[in-house]
Amino acid sequence: MASILVIEDDAETAREIADELRVHGHTVHAEADGQNGLERALREPFDAITLDRMLPGLDGLAVVARLRAAGIVTPVLMISALGDVDARIDGLRAGGDDYLIKPFAPDEMAMRVEVLLRRRRQLETAAAMLRGGPVEMDLIRREVRVDGDPVRLLHMEFRLLEFLMRNAGEIVTRQIIFERVWGYYFDPGANLINVHIARLRKKIDRPGHASLIATVKGEGYRFDAG
Amino acid sequence: MPGDWPHLRDIRKTSTFRLTLALGGAATVGVLLLLLIIYSLTERELNDRSDRILRTEIARLAALPEADLPGEIDKSSATSVSGLNHFGLLSPGGRWLAGDMGASPPLVIGHPYERDDGPDVRGPLRILAARTSGGALLMVGRDVRPIVDLRGRMVEILVLSGLFVAPLLLAAGFAVSLGPLRRVDRLQRVALEIGSGRLAARMPIEGRGDELDLFAGTVNRMIGEVERTVDQVKSVTDAIAHDLRTPLTRVRNQLYRASRDPDMAPADVVRIEAAMADLDLVLARFAALLRISELEASGRRQGFATSRIDRLLDAVVELYGPLAEERDVALRWDGAEPVHLYCDEKLIFEAFSNLVDNAIKFAPEGGCVSIRLAKDDGFVAIEVCDNGPGIPMDQLQAVLRRYDRGVASAAVPGSGLGLSVVAAIVHLHHFALELLPAEPGLRARIVAPVEAQQAR
Repeated sequence: MASILVIEDDAETAREIADELRVHGHTVHAEADGQNGLERALREPFDAITLDRMLPGLDGLAVVARLRAAGIVTPVLMISALGDVDARIDGLRAGGDDYLIKPFAPDEMAMRVEVLLRRRRQLETAAAMLRGGPVEMDLIRREVRVDGDPVRLLHMEFRLLEFLMRNAGEIVTRQIIFERVWGYYFDPGANLINVHIARLRKKIDRPGHASLIATVKGEGYRFDAG
Repeated sequence: MPGDWPHLRDIRKTSTFRLTLALGGAATVGVLLLLLIIYSLTERELNDRSDRILRTEIARLAALPEADLPGEIDKSSATSVSGLNHFGLLSPGGRWLAGDMGASPPLVIGHPYERDDGPDVRGPLRILAARTSGGALLMVGRDVRPIVDLRGRMVEILVLSGLFVAPLLLAAGFAVSLGPLRRVDRLQRVALEIGSGRLAARMPIEGRGDELDLFAGTVNRMIGEVERTVDQVKSVTDAIAHDLRTPLTRVRNQLYRASRDPDMAPADVVRIEAAMADLDLVLARFAALLRISELEASGRRQGFATSRIDRLLDAVVELYGPLAEERDVALRWDGAEPVHLYCDEKLIFEAFSNLVDNAIKFAPEGGCVSIRLAKDDGFVAIEVCDNGPGIPMDQLQAVLRRYDRGVASAAVPGSGLGLSVVAAIVHLHHFALELLPAEPGLRARIVAPVEAQQAR
């Protein structure tokens, strides 16, 4: 369970975000304008913040920039109706950790918050080794072993497996995978990611066992440590 | 480039150059005719004067007794005041009797004619001959060197002036043509820009109010009207897409919550998930549509930097290789020498990805998709070629329009926006997108001008 601050001026959107995050078991605190949101984020510790870009009082970009200037490293998911690439770049450059365009599906928003929370926890532990079920990933030597047997992965396959293992047990959408692993923000089509997942499965799945990467129909994929 | 010197052959073809030459030629012919008339009149007047003198002298000598003629002729020859008159007397049998004109018999009797025995003998003479009552031939000649000299001087003037005027005319023609040609060149460049889809471009107007300004003004008004109409159509489409996105997303969210209701029957959950998948497709199309509008509307250069295009293509091949393999399509890319382009790397990657994705989709099972990167002095070309059904010639341009996918693509999934996105990205970079038949298949080329190899 995490404590999340939602800074959003549109009441309906704020309610949607809060409801979804509560469904995921998080505690939600809401602020409706930039200035109050900033003061609260400076005053209280939160695990993550969802921040509307266009806010009354103080703009979302200014809020995140002041948080970073004050040394607050809480992960921030910027949410905005401005969908163009420049707006996304502005949001990330100001200090946002991820960017979501309105209108959005609440499940996707929740997934992005989960990814941010897990990344923060991993940064705190700074693990050099990832373990999930039979899979061991040595992040320093860039080696992968399944049941102790070495598996040769290509560069992007390694990154894909690392991302899935870092979010083990959680569903991640194809779009989030594409953004986080390949670093591009356009829609690559569902089939492209499916094919990459299928290739990865061939390399890490063990005969006679369920796949380590489960397909969640209509949503995405989940690494199951078993 | 505007400001470059036009080629000589281009200048030669201009109406201004031709008009200048025609006017200059007409003026030269006029001057020639005038000189000819002056010469003819002067020659005639001088000949008339000579003829009058010759007739007077002949009449004077013919009136003398035949026996006195040799003495008078010798005397006249010796005492000619001007030194221009010459005399001669031949016997009826042609024997030389007196005078200084030599023994040549006359060519014509009774009419003046000209004879030139050469500079060593005697200059050109105008001669009148008459037969005396006793049958002797009496000849009076007048030196017409001044007339011959005048003729020579006239020819000299014509040749020299021709040598001077001809290059002057050519130079004037080039000089006069250069300005209009450069203006036409600028107009042509803008016209090509407009033709390539940049409807915001306008023809330059110099403010002289001449025919080129009038033409440019008319074209600008026309393009303005076309741009306004296109904008209206686009904004209506975009407004529909934008306004529908929010309610459709809300509907999807409601369905999502309903699907998670523990009281919901599994069969209903399946139906709801199918509805959500359809809605996701519609929302993805709206998002792509709005993305094209953003790309078309913006002049964004924030993400521009010098990028290694060969490496981007390596990454595209790495991304799409597995997809091609799954479809049993050979994805051929032999790599290339380093090629730098000033571009938005993420957008260009997206454009390449779309072209490769399309090519893989349309290539038949067992077919192939080849990627090439060619660098020339004038351009950099990135080519994606498949051996699928291709696009009929008459539809090659149509497929770049939103939602137009061509007849061969009915069985292939897709929003129909991929090539439109590529076109918008290419347009933003001021590159060119060419779709060419590959027989069989399609050859899609992105061509970047050589200037794009340097940072701007």
